[in-house]
Amino acid sequence: MMSSFSIEIFLAVVGVLLIALDAFATELNRKVVPWAAIGATGLALILMLTRSADIPAWITPFYATDSLAVFYKVFALVTTLIVLIIALEGDFITAYFSSSEGVKTRIGEFYALPLIVCAGMMWMASAKDLVALFVPLELVTVSFYVLVAFTRRSAMSLEAGVKYLILGALSTGVLVFGIAWVYGATGSLSFEGIAAAASKPTTNAMALMLGAALLLAGLGFKVGAAPFQIWIPDVYQGAPTPVTAFLSVGSKAAGFVVLTRAVQAFTGDGSQIATQVGNALLSAAALTILLGSLPAIFQTNVKRLMAYSSISHAGFMVLALACGATGTVAFYMGTYLPATLLGFLLLVVLRTQGVGDELKDLAGLSKRSPLLAFALAVAFASMAGLPLTAGFMGKLLVFMAAISKAHYGVVALAVVGAAAGFYYYFRPILTAYSPVEGESTKLQVSPVARVTIAVLIVGVVAVGVYPKLLQSVLK
Amino acid sequence: MITLNDYLLVAGILFAIGLAGVVVRRNIIVIYMCLEMMLSAANLTLVAFSRFHLVDGAPDYAAQSLVFFTITVAAAEVAVGLAIIVALFRAKQSVDVESVTKLKG
Repeated sequence: MMSSFSIEIFLAVVGVLLIALDAFATELNRKVVPWAAIGATGLALILMLTRSADIPAWITPFYATDSLAVFYKVFALVTTLIVLIIALEGDFITAYFSSSEGVKTRIGEFYALPLIVCAGMMWMASAKDLVALFVPLELVTVSFYVLVAFTRRSAMSLEAGVKYLILGALSTGVLVFGIAWVYGATGSLSFEGIAAAASKPTTNAMALMLGAALLLAGLGFKVGAAPFQIWIPDVYQGAPTPVTAFLSVGSKAAGFVVLTRAVQAFTGDGSQIATQVGNALLSAAALTILLGSLPAIFQTNVKRLMAYSSISHAGFMVLALACGATGTVAFYMGTYLPATLLGFLLLVVLRTQGVGDELKDLAGLSKRSPLLAFALAVAFASMAGLPLTAGFMGKLLVFMAAISKAHYGVVALAVVGAAAGFYYYFRPILTAYSPVEGESTKLQVSPVARVTIAVLIVGVVAVGVYPKLLQSVLK
Repeated sequence: MITLNDYLLVAGILFAIGLAGVVVRRNIIVIYMCLEMMLSAANLTLVAFSRFHLVDGAPDYAAQSLVFFTITVAAAEVAVGLAIIVALFRAKQSVDVESVTKLKG
C-alpha cells in the first residue's frame, strides 16, 4: 500500500535511474530500458488502483486527493503506459532519426523521460495551489521540449522542437506574470484563498481580471484552446509520432485538470469576475471548435488532420468547462483517450511497414491488413462521434451541458464543427476501404501491437455502449 | 519612497519590451533572451506584491518562495532550449526564424 504521493516519487526516481542506466550501462543492458519503463508504469498503475488514502500531513495544503485528482492520475498512468508501447513499436524509427550518420545511439531517454512527465502530470492533477500548479507544469513542458525535438536528424522534428520551445516558453512567461497578478489581487496563492478573495468586495476586480486573463491564456496554450492553438498543427506533425500521441492526450489532460481547478477558483460563489471568465471561456470554446474543424477539412496529412482534430476536441472540452460541467470535461477526456491513442498507434505501425502518414498512403489498407483498417475506422468514427462509440457519448454530454445553460449560439457552432468532423474523419476511413488496382503486400502487425489495438477498440466500444463504466469512476 | 506602483510599472514595461522582442525579432537567440526578460518581469512583480502584502505587519513570503522555483525552472528551460537551438544551428547553419518554415498548411 503506497499513497499516490509516493507513487509519483517512485516514477520520477525510476525515470532518473533509467537515464543513468542508459548512460553508463553496456549495450546489452540498455535493451532493458524500454521494458523497465513499461514495467514501472504498469506497477505504478497497479499501486495507484490499490493505493492507501493517507498522505503526509505537511503536503495537504498543496495536494488534493479528490475524485478529480484520482481520475486524472489514473488517466496519466494509462496514457503513459500506452505511449511507451507505441514508442517501443516505432523504436527503430526513433533510433534512426536521432543518431548521427553511422553512429549507434542510445535512445533510452526516450523511454525514461515519459516516466518523469507522468509523475509531473500526476502532480498537476493534485494541484491545490499556484506553486503546485506551476512547478509540475514546467516539469512536463521542459521534458516535452526534449521529446519533441528528440529525432533531431529529421528537419521536421527539429523545427517542431524549436517552435514548441519558443511558444512554450512564451506561455510560461505569460502564466507566471498572470500568477503574480492573481497573487497581487487576492494576496493568496492557494485556489481556496483565491476563490474566497474573489468574492470579497474589497478585492481589486481589475487587477484580478488581468491576472486571471493572463493565467487562463497561459493554460489555454497548454491545452491548445483558441487563440493560442497556432502551435499545435506544426508541433504535432513534426514531433515523433509517439510524442505527438503523448502531447495530444497526456499533456492536454493535465492542462485541463489545472484549467478546471483555476476556473473553479475564479468562478466560485459570488466571484466578482465569474461572468467575464465564463464569457471568455464560451467565446474561446466557439473559436476553438471552428479553428479546429474548418482547416481540418483541407488537410491531406493524417497526422496534421489529427492535430486539427485535437484542437476541435479541446474546444468541446472548454465548452463543457464554460458550463461548469467539470465531470463532463473528464468524461470527454476519457472518451478521447482510446480513440486518439489508437489513431497514433496505427500511424506508427503503418510507418514501421513503410506506409507514410499522407492520406493517399492509406489507399487499399483494408486489403493489406483488415485489422488495421478496422481499427482505423473505429478510431476515426469515435473521434467523429458516431453513435455506439465512446466519442458520441462525450459529445452528447457536452451538448446537454451547454443546452441546460441555454448557450444556444455556441451550441449551433459546435454542431457545425461536429458535422464538419463527419466529413474529415470519414475521408481516411473511405480511403482505407477504397479498392485499389494491382497486387499489394500484406502488412505485418506485431503481437504487442495487436493486443494494444484490441484493448483500445474494446475501450472505444465499451464506453460507447455502456458509458456508465466511465461515469461510475468519476462519481 | 519607492511605492508598489513603481515596481509594477517597471515590471510591466519590462514585460512589454520582452513581448515586443519576441514578436519583432528574427533571431531565435534574441527571442529567447526576450522570453527570459518576460520571466524576470513576472518575478519582479511577484517579489513586489509579496513585499507589500503585509500579514500582521510582516511581509508575506509565500510568493517570494515561488520566485525561487521560477528561477530554477527558467534555468532548466535555458539548458534544454539552448541545446535545441544548437542542434538547429548544426542542421541549418542559421538561427533565424526563417529557417524553421517547413511545416505549414
